[in-house]
Amino acid sequence: MTGHQPVNIIMIEDDEGHARLIERNIRRAGISNLVRHFPDGSSALQFLFDHPEGPAKNGPALVLLDLNLPDMSGTDILARIKADPALRRTPVVVLTTTDEKIEIQRCYDLGCNVYITKPVNYENFADAIRQLGLFLAVIQVPETEGLG
Amino acid sequence: MSSNKTIPARPETAYARAMARIARELDLSDDAVTRAIILFVLLGFLGLLAGGLTAGLVMMSNQRRIEWVNHTYEMERHIDGLGLQVERLEGARRGFLLDADPTYRLIFSDAEAALVHQVAQLRTLTADNPQQAGNVARLDEQATRLRVLLGSSIIARVLGQTQTAMDDFRTDGSVQLARQTRAVGVAMMAEENRLLSERLVTQRRTVSVFYGVLIASGVLLLLVAAASIVLILRYVRALAASRDSLRTINDSLEQAVSVRTRALQRANDEIQRFAYIVSHDLRSPLVNVLGFTAELEESGRAIVGLIERAEAEAPHLIDAEVRRAVYEDTPEAIGFIRTSTQKMDRLINAILKLSREGRRTITRERLDMDHLVQGIADTMRHRLDELGAELTVETPLPQIVNDRVAIEQILSNLIENAVKYLKPGRPGRICVRGHVERDRAVFEVEDNGRGIDPKDHERVFDLFRRAGAQDQPGEGIGLAHVRALAYRLGGAVSCQSALNEGATFRLSVPLIYVPERSA
Repeated sequence: MTGHQPVNIIMIEDDEGHARLIERNIRRAGISNLVRHFPDGSSALQFLFDHPEGPAKNGPALVLLDLNLPDMSGTDILARIKADPALRRTPVVVLTTTDEKIEIQRCYDLGCNVYITKPVNYENFADAIRQLGLFLAVIQVPETEGLG
Repeated sequence: MSSNKTIPARPETAYARAMARIARELDLSDDAVTRAIILFVLLGFLGLLAGGLTAGLVMMSNQRRIEWVNHTYEMERHIDGLGLQVERLEGARRGFLLDADPTYRLIFSDAEAALVHQVAQLRTLTADNPQQAGNVARLDEQATRLRVLLGSSIIARVLGQTQTAMDDFRTDGSVQLARQTRAVGVAMMAEENRLLSERLVTQRRTVSVFYGVLIASGVLLLLVAAASIVLILRYVRALAASRDSLRTINDSLEQAVSVRTRALQRANDEIQRFAYIVSHDLRSPLVNVLGFTAELEESGRAIVGLIERAEAEAPHLIDAEVRRAVYEDTPEAIGFIRTSTQKMDRLINAILKLSREGRRTITRERLDMDHLVQGIADTMRHRLDELGAELTVETPLPQIVNDRVAIEQILSNLIENAVKYLKPGRPGRICVRGHVERDRAVFEVEDNGRGIDPKDHERVFDLFRRAGAQDQPGEGIGLAHVRALAYRLGGAVSCQSALNEGATFRLSVPLIYVPERSA
């Protein structure tokens, strides 16, 4: 982590089990950054845009985004992030069960940085998350142009 | 959804009813028309026959009339001739008595011969009429007498007894006799004329009867012709009407079919969407089940380590129950969870694959089926050689316009199945052939493999269902996939088989696929 501030990991995932598994495997990869978990779209958006510790107001962040959320589609959140001048440089990793070609294309069109399908096979899943952890360890996350 | 179109209640029944009605009507009129036409033909024939017969009779009767008229003329001629000869006889005798010129004798004997001849002729002519024959006999007798009388006076003159001859001339009554003879002739002539006119009257009557018959049969023919024309016109009109109503029924049936097709397509689309959403949402919990099972296994390993240490350091803490739980029961339970969830994952993936296939856009192109099937056969060459089986493709196969990927998947699935379910111990023979049935192409994949029990023919097309011995790997997806694809392409797939007798799978697709999607 080369920024002035540690990068917060914002995980938007409605499935508690998936959230636990993702966090565990990130930790296993040796990433100790703060992981904030939001089980629905509204609370996540609120944090992203309005919370004093959120990336819009304070410090760099990386978003892990599930597409199937109870209150809205993950692609809406992605679109909101990429349309906002303060947030659009924040890397977004879409991590979801959907492997539909059209959905993947749409996410990249909207500006998603990485698209990962959650494999059902747990070993592959764990591998993928650990590699994402390794990736997070070397990634350069830009400072957000927040006011504070 | 087009709301202005209604689906007729059970169109099949309505259709069948309408068809039955038309068939009944046509049938009825068919019978009646056939009977009527036979009747008319018979009547016409009778009329013609009557006309022909009458015409023949009229001709014959005319012929007879001419004969009768001729006969009368003939009689007249001979009677006149007879009178003339009598005159000549008298004249010749008179001349000879006066002059004794031998020329008169020559004329006399000539007239005599002619008279005999005329009498003979008259006898022949009147042979059929006893009355006239009697007259002729009288005539003959008088003429003979006259000839003898006149002849004797001529002989007397020849002998030089001129006085005797002259006396004879005055007294022998030959003049009266000649007059009588002529009178008999006149009477005969009168009788003959009477007969002629009588005959003509009778004949005229019969002729007019014949003409009546002719006119009647002519009228009959005209009537028959008119009735036939009316009947045929009416029948043709009935035919046209039933053809029109058939067309209407057909049209409405087609409409009903297309409405139904659209409804089916909507239902199908809904099922596809449903399958897609369900399979996706099922995946999420599955990730958890598998994930936490792995976590559990991981934790289990830590516990196993602890138990091993405890056994080494404080064996009294571990009893058999704990040992079994740790070493046998837990790994077994985890193993079952794992295999079951993995199987579930495969099934979900199958559903997903099917629903994705159903949503794929179809690209129409002209397909060289010979080439396509040969390509499939080539990919299977290795496996066929391994099994010692033989695959023949009966070229040329019908060429179609359809989606290449889907057709390839269907046929390779069917051929793969044929290879997969050959009967062990029997050299495999697989045959791919095709033909055109109206606007559809039919492809058959026939094998001599283990076959399918007829009660399973529908089941094998169901998702996750298989038939026969479960000795081959597979999830029971292939044929369900094939059927879904075939329906998608406007086709159908069916199976014909008996156990141990091999199987024939038949794919029928339109020669030219026309997308029937309503937006």
